[in-house]
Amino acid sequence: MRENRKYRYIAVFMLLGIGMGFFFALNVCIGSAGIALSDIGRTLAGQESSETVKRILWDIRMPRALAVLILGGALALAGYLLQTFFNNPIAGPFVLGISSGAKMAVALMMVFMMGRLVKVTSAAMILSAFAGAMLSMGFVLLLSHRINSMSMLVVSGVMIGYICSAVTELVVTFAEDADIVNLHNWSRGSFSGMTWENVRVIAVVVLATVIAVFLLSKPLGAYQLGDAYARNVGVNLRLLRVFIVIFSSILSACIVAFAGPISFVGIAVPHLVRRLMGTTEPIWMIPACFLGGSVFCLFCDLLARTMLAPTELSISTVTAIFGAPVVLWVIVKRKRT
Amino acid sequence: MKRYYFSTKNMCVGYDRRPLIKDIEITLQKGEILSLIGPNGAGKSTVIKSIAGQLKLLGGTVCLGEENLLAMKASDLAKKMSVLFTEKIRAELKTCRDVVATGRYPYTGWFGVLSEEDERIVDEVMGLIHITELSGQDFDKISDGQKQRVMLARAICQEPEILILDEPTSYLDIKYKLEFLSILQEMRIKKGLTVIMSLHELELAKIVSDKILCLKGEYVLRYGTPDEVFTSDFIEGLFDIREEDLNADEKLLAYIRQVGKL
Repeated sequence: MRENRKYRYIAVFMLLGIGMGFFFALNVCIGSAGIALSDIGRTLAGQESSETVKRILWDIRMPRALAVLILGGALALAGYLLQTFFNNPIAGPFVLGISSGAKMAVALMMVFMMGRLVKVTSAAMILSAFAGAMLSMGFVLLLSHRINSMSMLVVSGVMIGYICSAVTELVVTFAEDADIVNLHNWSRGSFSGMTWENVRVIAVVVLATVIAVFLLSKPLGAYQLGDAYARNVGVNLRLLRVFIVIFSSILSACIVAFAGPISFVGIAVPHLVRRLMGTTEPIWMIPACFLGGSVFCLFCDLLARTMLAPTELSISTVTAIFGAPVVLWVIVKRKRT
Repeated sequence: MKRYYFSTKNMCVGYDRRPLIKDIEITLQKGEILSLIGPNGAGKSTVIKSIAGQLKLLGGTVCLGEENLLAMKASDLAKKMSVLFTEKIRAELKTCRDVVATGRYPYTGWFGVLSEEDERIVDEVMGLIHITELSGQDFDKISDGQKQRVMLARAICQEPEILILDEPTSYLDIKYKLEFLSILQEMRIKKGLTVIMSLHELELAKIVSDKILCLKGEYVLRYGTPDEVFTSDFIEGLFDIREEDLNADEKLLAYIRQVGKL
């Protein structure tokens, strides 16, 4: 029994690991500029190659693929944390309005900074996104005290999301013409235009948070049993809740700051991974969700870039096509049991 | 003054700062069993939850030996006190064995990985409660009675000195009720386990308890040994049963007298 389970976990991790490597490679190899595989191999090996190929691979595709890999994982993990926190299978940063809150704060900050011709830094983006995420989260928490029903909580989250999006639209309408293009692309969600500087910041922030979350896997496991039992085995519930709120907000903020709001990954991936693993234990689910999110987003970004090339789809379009059915399936399945 | 293993002083319990029951005084020696009895809504669960630290005390103290429970570190208290509440544990995708193993939480390391010793204790306790055959079954798919036994195993797995149980027998049939009581007796003899529980079955409370706490509305009706508490007319008084309500049915009246006398 116990041995079987371990093999299953290992098999899932191997599958996800291979999937990640495979889609990462595809993301680097495929793109609007057709580059022969032999050229790619030579360039990556550091041998002589043309300047353009080098630029495309190292300055455009590599940082983008890496950002998708890290942010995708972060998104799935944020979803998993929120689902655990609210004990609600359809919670996620997008449906609870947290992404939209972060988006609003970033849009306000960008318009304000650009108006003063100040360069917008990665740190400013993350900080404002975090502030916005916490603001939305605060509202959701306030509401969750008054609302017991899971579905109503999600509906309230969606409403908060709409309010924030409306404010964002308003800001964009009043922004200077040149800013709008920038803002508009970003507010629909896209991984394009990643630089190595972005990737460095993303990697540091996300990986530190993921490690912190992983270190909490034991109390998180107890939290899943229910408040009374978690308290009885010695979990400091208040402190744990504060940590979950902060970490899930940091992860959501990081995604919004660099890629805009991305829908459905946060709900769909943890469910798919749970099905694969057959467990909810955080110690296994945290790394598995991260890997699963990476694979899912690498796959979706590949489609977003290539399906209608050279036009690029917004990433949310693709994630919705594959993620929304999963969410529906989850809802239907829950009703039956 | 006599020293007690467990004691409450002027304990006042209730919800949202509204006191429900005041001045609860309980004293127990190590290894004693206390049963809380009383009509529905008398506050049995409220007292149980307050003792277990799930509800804020509105006044007074609860002490384990010399130590105030409130002042104890949560992780230390978890090794001394375990609970079984009426609310079910959430156990998505967990087998019964997984659920029992969650009782080992206070003893495992930073990542909560079970040691050989932990695994051995889990198996041992499951054997003690006779639920070994449920081991691999999905906790969400077993019956309420089985769940109650699995949760009892979980509580015992925590190796407590004091066990707090809220209506632990409500879903058990007569066989398992008796088995449950014999397990409590065994634990008391072997490990000096102290038990505080709420029970609906007066006849069980009478034979198993060392002390009985009768709750009625906003006060403690009686506290003492079963002999002191169970007097001939006490059940009618505690539950407000009036003979005319029963249409003077001889069989029902005889039943009540019998329970009172047992």
